[in-house]
Amino acid sequence: MTKKQRALGLLIVLFPFVAFFVSLSIGVVHIPLDGVLKSLLSPIFPSLKQGLPENYLGIVLGVRLPRLLLALLAGAGLSVSGASLQALSKNPLVNEYILGISSGAAFGASLSIVIFRQSFPPQISAFVFAVAAVMIVLLISRNSDSPIVSLLLTGIIVSAFFSALLSLVEFFASPYALQGLFYWLMGNLGWPGWGALSISLPLTAVGTAGLILMRWRMNVLSMSDEEARSLGVNIRREKLMVIFLATLVTAAVTSVAGIIGWVGLIVPHLVRMMVGVDNRRVVPLSAAMGAGYLILADDLARGLASSFEIPVGIFTSLIGIPFFILLLRKSKRIWL
Amino acid sequence: MKKRLFVLVFPALLAGLASPSVLSTAQSGDLTVKDSLDRTVVIPAKVKRIVSIQSEITRLIVALGAGDDLVGIDYTMRLHDHLFKHIYPEESRLPLVSMAENNVNLETVVSLKPDIIFASPFERQIVDAIQRKTRIPVVALASLGDVSKLADEMRLVGRILGRERRAEELSAYFTGAVGLVRERLKDVPRDKRPRVYMSFWGFLTRTPIHYDPVEIAAGLNLAEKIIPDVLGSVGTMVKIEQIILWDPDLILVHGNYLPKERTVTVESVLKDSRLASLSSVRSKRVFYTFGFWNWWDIAEVLLETEYLAHLFHPDRFPEFDLGRRGDAIYKKFYGLDDGFAKLSAILRCDEWVHD
Amino acid sequence: MSIWVKDLRFDYRNFSLHIQNLRFEAAKLTSIVGPNGAGKTTLLKCLCAILPIARDSLFLDRRDIALLSAEERARLIAYVPQEHSSAFNYAVQDFVLMGRAAYVSLFSTPSAADVEIALEALEYVGLRRYAARPYFELSSGERRLVLIARALAQKSDILILDEPTSFLDPKHETELMDLARRLAVEKKKTVLVTLHNLDMAVKYSDVIVFMKKGGVVAGGSPDDILTEPLLESVYEIKMNILRHDGRKFIVK
Repeated sequence: MTKKQRALGLLIVLFPFVAFFVSLSIGVVHIPLDGVLKSLLSPIFPSLKQGLPENYLGIVLGVRLPRLLLALLAGAGLSVSGASLQALSKNPLVNEYILGISSGAAFGASLSIVIFRQSFPPQISAFVFAVAAVMIVLLISRNSDSPIVSLLLTGIIVSAFFSALLSLVEFFASPYALQGLFYWLMGNLGWPGWGALSISLPLTAVGTAGLILMRWRMNVLSMSDEEARSLGVNIRREKLMVIFLATLVTAAVTSVAGIIGWVGLIVPHLVRMMVGVDNRRVVPLSAAMGAGYLILADDLARGLASSFEIPVGIFTSLIGIPFFILLLRKSKRIWL
Repeated sequence: MKKRLFVLVFPALLAGLASPSVLSTAQSGDLTVKDSLDRTVVIPAKVKRIVSIQSEITRLIVALGAGDDLVGIDYTMRLHDHLFKHIYPEESRLPLVSMAENNVNLETVVSLKPDIIFASPFERQIVDAIQRKTRIPVVALASLGDVSKLADEMRLVGRILGRERRAEELSAYFTGAVGLVRERLKDVPRDKRPRVYMSFWGFLTRTPIHYDPVEIAAGLNLAEKIIPDVLGSVGTMVKIEQIILWDPDLILVHGNYLPKERTVTVESVLKDSRLASLSSVRSKRVFYTFGFWNWWDIAEVLLETEYLAHLFHPDRFPEFDLGRRGDAIYKKFYGLDDGFAKLSAILRCDEWVHD
Repeated sequence: MSIWVKDLRFDYRNFSLHIQNLRFEAAKLTSIVGPNGAGKTTLLKCLCAILPIARDSLFLDRRDIALLSAEERARLIAYVPQEHSSAFNYAVQDFVLMGRAAYVSLFSTPSAADVEIALEALEYVGLRRYAARPYFELSSGERRLVLIARALAQKSDILILDEPTSFLDPKHETELMDLARRLAVEKKKTVLVTLHNLDMAVKYSDVIVFMKKGGVVAGGSPDDILTEPLLESVYEIKMNILRHDGRKFIVK
């Protein structure tokens, strides 16, 4: 690791913390940083409440803190699962969309929202169908002569299949149930209450932590199956484990925040450009970068227009893709 | 993607639409009308067979006593309407002509030989395509949350169906009752008008940027025109911080959802920790109201206007009783003794008024 | 550690491998030769359990390979593939470090000791100076050496090399075979190599095994078994053996 990589790595680690703190002051009401700090500390030191405008506490602790926590974990989770799936499938183009995880999760959650009227938790339903989708993709693309092409192809096909199922659900939904579903599908961090978060956040955290612990293993898993096997890897078990964790994270995030696009693809690549391809760095730094990235994207959703809100899923794509193209064009050598 | 866009626009009624009107009457008795999309449509003098895929108009047709002229029914009325099977029980024998808003079975429509098709104006291409393919005049109408447009619409439909007298009677009743509310509240000063936030369409943060019943009942919609008209919608997402900043005097929750399908409820608003600092939450000034449900229902709009007037200014409407008034209005429009009682049982309106 | 092929069967759709009672001795370099499609690579992949094998067919000393866990096996047998391709261009050192996978548990990362072992392995193949270079910036000869270093990092007694000299120029070919030879002699490893170049096989091997059509035709020291009739029957073309300086040379 070069000095430059080390410095960039440090910056990436600091990024989400700075973004998190600064973002607490961004919103419809601008709250200066000292106001943010006092509001944050006021549960411990009640005397700090003195002189704070009345609505600061509610906005900082009630609105922004949970939302930023969700952005933090969702960004970290999606990026880490993206990086892991890329290593696992030995394919830097893979993300949770291409493997059908997102469309499976979207279908599962919509089924729960529209048909089962939430009597069946959307998280579980999202997870079940996300697993189903990714298993179908892996089963079909297994034993192919050109695994990468066949993985991408089957992923696209399976995604399309679950999108069609989703359309079927939409078709039978009443126009009013559809309203909810549609906005949910666009990706938004602002809606879930603590109830939904209390299931999804721990699942996301556990899955992300598991993947980060397996970070070095991702290097070995990114070798061809034959090589990995000869190196002493129980491929079937470890692959299933990574897929299980990545799917868990994606489903948990999708079920509370809808479909937040491109994070899982763009963030790991940004990190690789900055610190190289070793997953010991890429996986944990993707968590940090993804957390900061989603927080910033959500700042735009929260801060850009005056009073109405634009879904964050739109911004992750709107900023991410041009930025990614810029980097692609600027970097002379390929970073992979 | 096109389909997605459509869903986005659907209840978010298109603004800036033309006011429908009768342009001329030919010697033959054929009627030329301008619809909400500013399309000119020639309608035969005698309209005896009707297909309506616009719920609001379907309800008007039944109110006008022309229900028996309906020859087909659309999916919203069959599957997603609370009351239609009560206000017009014969609907069950009508063939289904659509399975989704943009999925009209044109072959069924043609085979029913209607003289006219009523549609909603949300997407011009669809409206034009139906007319082009079926060669049946299609009139696209919607009142778009505007009470006076709703009254005009009733007269226009009455004219088209040759039921001018009933239309005149009902729209006069409607306009008169609305006018009475306005009259009683006209001197309420601005600072005595409650500042209202509405959570509509199943989201805490989705809200109409204009809602006539609230204005007529002398309330102030906090989200009034917060996005420019040119964007063409009456609904938008607001930020939750904005709601906190507004600190509304009163919060209204879309009550037309079936209780088991409500994602936002009065209880969920009262329990939402993010809203705990709001004065309306602390004083429990959070109530259901009807809101749109597959466009509007003229009887419901009138009842809602009076209900909101009572809610906002109880001292000026001390005698108002939702159940009694509801029964009277539904009797007037749909000839049913227990029309509102049925709706009230479905939406649990008896629980709406709380302390 | 020696390998005993007791009774190995492996069936593809139109090919089957069947070998009985073949031994590979410790501290010796054994070449496996034969025409294309003889089953050489299949045999190697069975030995590394890359391909599934039945119980009671292959033994390391007394241990049945089929009963070993993936980690146990990787600590005993290291496999050097012909080529490595990947979408990710790891640094050489990180690449060699992957040889420690069998010693590092699933949820942890390699220790400083593991890194030291990887660097030693690189040192042994003479590429320590390239530790920080990206793998795909190396020449194909150097990449072969890195693959061998990764196998060395596995610290296994048995080393299996699949056609390590293919596509190499004579200089690199010689260096590579010298290295393989050193591993058998200095490190006392059981080295198995598949080769196409018969002269190389003759020059470097302690034992040559001839394979054809999924079976073993002959096996033994080059001096003992190399005859013109054997070569002709294995390769189905006429070959002559010349002697020079006490060594056998093959002329096609």
